[in-house]
Amino acid sequence: MLRHLLKLTAAAIVLTSTPALAQTDTSNSFDDDIDWSLYDDLGFADENAKRFANAKIEGLSPAKLISVGYDFQGAYAITAGDMDLNDGTTLAGGDAEQVNSTTGFRAGFNLPVVSQNNLVWQLGANYWNTSYNYAEAPAATDNPLHRTLSENGLRTMGVNTTIYKPLDDTQFLLFQGSADLSGTYGSSLMPAQYLKYSAALLWGKRPTEKKQWAVGLARTYRVGELNYIPVILYNSTSANNKWGTEALFPARVHVRRTINPRNMLFFGYELQGQSYRLYENLPGFDIRDEDLEIRRGEVRIRAVYEFSLKNFVWMSVQAGYRVNYRYDVDRLVDGGEIYRAFGILRDDPYAQVNGLGNPFYVNVSVNLVSP
Amino acid sequence: MLRKMTLLAVSAVIAFGTLSFVVPQKSEDPGDRLVGIWEPSNGRSRIKIDRIGNKYYGRVVWLIEPNDENGNPRKDINNPDPDLRNAPLRGFRMCKDFVYQGNDEWSEGTLYDPNNGSTYNGIIKMKDENTLDMRGYIGVEAIGRTDVWKRLKMPSRKKK
Repeated sequence: MLRHLLKLTAAAIVLTSTPALAQTDTSNSFDDDIDWSLYDDLGFADENAKRFANAKIEGLSPAKLISVGYDFQGAYAITAGDMDLNDGTTLAGGDAEQVNSTTGFRAGFNLPVVSQNNLVWQLGANYWNTSYNYAEAPAATDNPLHRTLSENGLRTMGVNTTIYKPLDDTQFLLFQGSADLSGTYGSSLMPAQYLKYSAALLWGKRPTEKKQWAVGLARTYRVGELNYIPVILYNSTSANNKWGTEALFPARVHVRRTINPRNMLFFGYELQGQSYRLYENLPGFDIRDEDLEIRRGEVRIRAVYEFSLKNFVWMSVQAGYRVNYRYDVDRLVDGGEIYRAFGILRDDPYAQVNGLGNPFYVNVSVNLVSP
Repeated sequence: MLRKMTLLAVSAVIAFGTLSFVVPQKSEDPGDRLVGIWEPSNGRSRIKIDRIGNKYYGRVVWLIEPNDENGNPRKDINNPDPDLRNAPLRGFRMCKDFVYQGNDEWSEGTLYDPNNGSTYNGIIKMKDENTLDMRGYIGVEAIGRTDVWKRLKMPSRKKK
């Protein structure tokens, strides 16, 4: 009897209490008769609140938070020129050496630190390596360039930051900065004195939801050696969202074809480059003491297909032609770089002038994209 | 003894039932501060957040471009479910199932982005009465993006 009574009590409590929770609905009348115009002319509840230009435009490809990829260049030849040494002697260059392939692992991540309407701040890091697979392993008597590329390859690791600061509902400032250690270093890190700093500061406008542009100045190693150049950012999306442009000229320019928001094609180019310190010594030759850096700059003319594998995991497949711009070796003067300004300020000769063939390449990466 | 138990049980039922019906439909639940009309940072839409049961839902009530290039009401064309691609965007429920956790935070819900048809885990933090941090994330909260929403003044019904 007591058990039945308790069950009855429990049931009664459940039945009487449930309606008070389940029927709470603050949504009022959402039906076909709703007057949507009620929501047309609304101001901010906080009268001091302002609207700011959004960092992105409609239709832009998704930002990559985490990226892991592999780069493959086909066969080509490297011609090493004569290498001038510190002691005034010259090492002879020699014939072109055949490289069967150049491969590399590439990883990067970018995470937002601050994401406010009036400030966006991201931090990131990246790691790239490049292995040169010679058809015949260079001998001890071969030019040090071939030997160091074959034995050590090139490596870059660095950190970067991006700050987007809207000034009002159309104007914005954009700052990008990075510090990279690039060279032929092995398992131990190179000293921080070899860090290369790149930066860009742009001012721009976002006149519509589908267009933003900016102009500014960059300190860059994109063509191998240090330069200060003007840069232009231009992102746009067509009215029907099918076509667009994503450009940071001259670093990269792409035309975008949006099949749907999860499938995008790009056609264009990217300048890639860096100064690589020849740090790792070779057997019988202390190349580190020579204070040499490879000024590597190349243009990648390419088609890129980016698509969602599942939800936020995207794959990027790019294929194209890698065109060498510069692969010369420069000597540091008192530990500092020679700033030539495209030959306008100085025209010091390079320590070694090299030639590279231009192979086809493919690059595949898996990316976790931003919401 | 049995009579006392019965009396106690009946009293409990009456007391609990009375209390539950005395609670007003619009309670002073601190979670209800989320209820209102909000504007995402891009200013392209306005979202009305309501409570249904003990969860909070946000619905698109205004679009800066309500019609597509053909002049028809914009639809949820990017929805991964083909059956939902004809649903009009205005009126679409893009925030779902948020539960108030205390400390000005609502979670356990999802955020839908009609621009790409993606649904994210969501967490809402109220910075002040008129500002929300809407964080969409993938799996873990660290991997995501925060958008700041501003509260709009509630509309008054138009007189006919």
